[in-house]
Amino acid sequence: MAENRLAADALSARLEGLLSQCALKNQRSFADLYALTSAKLFGVALRILRRHDWAEEVLQECYVNIWHHAGDYAATRSAPLTWMTSIVRNRCLDWLRRPQSEATGEEYDIAVEAWEDEAPGPMERLIAAGEESALARCLGQLDAKQRQSIVLAYFHGLSHSELANHLKEPLGTVKTWVRRGLERLKGCLSEGMRAKG
Amino acid sequence: MASYRDPELRDKLAAEYVLGTLSGRARARFESLMRYDRELRRAVAGWDARLTPLALAGSEVAPPARLWRMLERRIRHTERRANWWGHLAFWRTLAVMSATLALILGVMIGRVPPPELPMSTVAVMADDSGQPAMVVSWAPMKAMRDPHIRVKILQEHPTMAATTSWELWMLPAGNAPPVSLGLVSLDRSQVMKLPPTLAGKMQGAWGMGMSVEPAGGSPTGAPTGPMIFQGRCVTIL
Repeated sequence: MAENRLAADALSARLEGLLSQCALKNQRSFADLYALTSAKLFGVALRILRRHDWAEEVLQECYVNIWHHAGDYAATRSAPLTWMTSIVRNRCLDWLRRPQSEATGEEYDIAVEAWEDEAPGPMERLIAAGEESALARCLGQLDAKQRQSIVLAYFHGLSHSELANHLKEPLGTVKTWVRRGLERLKGCLSEGMRAKG
Repeated sequence: MASYRDPELRDKLAAEYVLGTLSGRARARFESLMRYDRELRRAVAGWDARLTPLALAGSEVAPPARLWRMLERRIRHTERRANWWGHLAFWRTLAVMSATLALILGVMIGRVPPPELPMSTVAVMADDSGQPAMVVSWAPMKAMRDPHIRVKILQEHPTMAATTSWELWMLPAGNAPPVSLGLVSLDRSQVMKLPPTLAGKMQGAWGMGMSVEPAGGSPTGAPTGPMIFQGRCVTIL
């Protein structure tokens, strides 16, 4: 597990260096940045958008954005992958919530099936990743419904009403699961931080 | 507005924003609040850091090779115009935009009977994404008994963090430092009176800038916070 941690730290340091080069408009560094991150981020976009053509379009926009705003990265004090992932997720969510592209019921059923089939599932991968096990452990402590709501919303970009539809529960109930789940998650993660420190 | 100051609520909103369940108008509103609120951005960054491992826990999928080729083309295109070329292009676009808006404004003013005074200088100020955010306009100062400028906010949901003020600056031509014209409220349409000494300087205005300052305005007399809107002055006949 400690090796995982070291590898992740090394990747972070490398990406940070590449981003600062991108800020100076170094194309070679941008190519390296793309090579190291595009498969991860394309996966993120595909899971949320569920369509290859959309994911390609959004990913292209996001990398252009990253190229132009690489200079802003330093001020965020986030890990580079966190920063890049949030750019991709936000763009995906904007894309999905355009009025003309409301996902149909079928699309998210397919997505959720795919998620259920995905072997190993996100939870197992989290545990396997080791250094992120705090999140896996804390997700594991939530009620099943809370965990399911949070994973579906975050991992697949389902909205409250899509969640309610999929889980066949009233909107209010689903909203409560999400809210309580997030509260407990935060409590659990900050406890972990204190124990470590 | 008051509810946005409750730290617990703010953190909950940040969490739902990151999760993606904050949507529609609430999401847009939250994003505009975030721009001027460092604490809120910090809360969002906290949730991003907590949840990102989950986003990346799925399978990696290599994008098709054509995606990189397209990106490379787009990047190469921008690189040639990097640095001062980039700035020039930016200002050129802004100038065209200003001129267009000035024309529209001119037509609009022309239509409103009776025109109080022909506006002869206009600055269309854009935010950092290039969107027009505010228009400042004034008639020849000498022609006015009580010199004033007109300020119009174009943003649909202008927001200002609780402990800050917006301060408007005239950017003189040459290397002279910005001159404060005073504080701007969130009213969509405002008139700012100018003392004669300031009115006399308006002729040399090259551009206008809006900075975020501590409540009550800049303590130093120069902009201390980020310039959120900027634009060039265009004279219209």
